[in-house]
Amino acid sequence: MLTIKKYVYIPCGTDLTALYRAEVGDYPKFFKMDTACKLGFLLAERLAEEPRFTPREDRAVLMFSTCGSLCNDRHYEDSVREFPSPSLFVYTLPNIITGEIAIRNKFEGETSAYVLEWFDPETFVALVEQAFQDAVTESAVCGWVDARADDDFTAFAFLVERDGNGMEFNKETIYGTVNQ
Amino acid sequence: MEQLINEIKLKLIDALNLDGMTPEDIDDNAPLFGDEGLGLDSIDVLELIVLLERNYGIRLANPQEGKAVFQSIAVMADYVAANRTK
Repeated sequence: MLTIKKYVYIPCGTDLTALYRAEVGDYPKFFKMDTACKLGFLLAERLAEEPRFTPREDRAVLMFSTCGSLCNDRHYEDSVREFPSPSLFVYTLPNIITGEIAIRNKFEGETSAYVLEWFDPETFVALVEQAFQDAVTESAVCGWVDARADDDFTAFAFLVERDGNGMEFNKETIYGTVNQ
Repeated sequence: MEQLINEIKLKLIDALNLDGMTPEDIDDNAPLFGDEGLGLDSIDVLELIVLLERNYGIRLANPQEGKAVFQSIAVMADYVAANRTK
């Protein structure tokens, strides 16, 4: 059975730079990231546990959204009119969020990014459960990061583990937690 | 030189879309690339090459030259001061 070890969220409209300065502050690469990656990165920081930065293959990272990288795609499209920006181009793939989290935390397990039509807890749970079907994964950072614009987003994440002491990770508990 | 250093920092922040970063966040002598410094990578070199050409008329023909020039903001500023054409 999968259980929820921790749940975190970032309210819509939060000043992400201020949040980074208040809670992290030691990872300048943050400033390069697009809004979706910043959200994913900050969520993962809030879920982090000691000891940190030890390479581990048993933790997966799964991120979900409806917008994908659309917010940054618009910025890149704007830059194309003058000079197509390579530093914006690298963020025109939704799965870079999982990569940024994995690199920062040295998570070497599965990483997956899914673009759904809407937030569907049943699909969310099914895809996370699927990640636990291998012989390696014991926990996962899984979140919903939907950056519609730089100041308009939905962002929450769970640290899910196999057979822990927390609430069962299922569609009812997710729905209840997110809507608290 | 201090003015040029600050100007390069502002142009770098703008060119690399370092949203929220200020010149004070960048140590003049910290490495620009790798985890210890600003965290830039090979993709960003292209932006820095364009920055030098557009703003200071400096064209880097040899990519290896870029590796030396982009060590830090202080090194960039020295190079710009010695080679700028505008």
